[in-house]
Amino acid sequence: MAVGFLPKGADLTEHPGADQLYIETRALRLQGFLLFLISDCILFSSFIFAYLYMRNSGQGWPPPGIQHLDVAFASLNSVVLFGSGATMHYALENWKHNNFNRYALFMILTILLGAGFLAGQAFEYNHLIFDEKVTWAGSGIFGASFFTLTGMHGFHVSVGVLYLIILFLQSIHGIYTKDKFFGLTAGTLYWHFVDVIWVVLFSIFYLI
Amino acid sequence: MHIDPPILERTIAIIGGIIVGVVSAKALYDDWKTPGIENQVFKIMLGLLCLGAIVAILAGANVLGNFPKAA
Repeated sequence: MAVGFLPKGADLTEHPGADQLYIETRALRLQGFLLFLISDCILFSSFIFAYLYMRNSGQGWPPPGIQHLDVAFASLNSVVLFGSGATMHYALENWKHNNFNRYALFMILTILLGAGFLAGQAFEYNHLIFDEKVTWAGSGIFGASFFTLTGMHGFHVSVGVLYLIILFLQSIHGIYTKDKFFGLTAGTLYWHFVDVIWVVLFSIFYLI
Repeated sequence: MHIDPPILERTIAIIGGIIVGVVSAKALYDDWKTPGIENQVFKIMLGLLCLGAIVAILAGANVLGNFPKAA
């Protein structure tokens, strides 16, 4: 595929070769979005490695006064998020196959499951802070790392839910077509990314 | 009939994990031969999603994260 930059003075809204421009610039936009995901991956990696380093240089784990986290509830909440990744994948597949009704169904399911995960995380935070007295500033490395990493992930999920709502509204209003739907592809990539990050966070905080 | 909440959560996690694992594995199988850079990334993501589902099933089944109660 020919990959090129926009010609000087190109106006996508009026240019007669807008479709050709779309084809030529799509690869660049994809590369830009993948670079954004890689930079986000590096951001999470730095926090994760800092947590693992501090955890392994301490005197036993979990720290005195802190119990292990609730694995049963976290497993359920994880499955909710992973399920949303699967529904998002099928939303995009149905869009590609011009099946709008099934696309809409899977998209709404994804948004609801994403919101459900956030509600589950809010419930867990409430339990930890008010029942277990684990706080960001008052529970040492564990509290700081747990709330920073899961909070950062929760922020990404919140942004993702908003992003998916915007994408859904745009698709209803005909912004995307069967041939031009890069926004939906980017949304699916982003949503898979937050799923995959949670696999790592779930493993390091709840299972090891 | 009273069901202990953790048992209910673990049961739903296992059933949901199996569904998500099977669905993501099927999606990965169906997309295996698709070309294009975004599809290669999708395949990696679907593979990791499948792994996540397996981890959630094992955690729900108390195989992983099975810690003794604190004194």
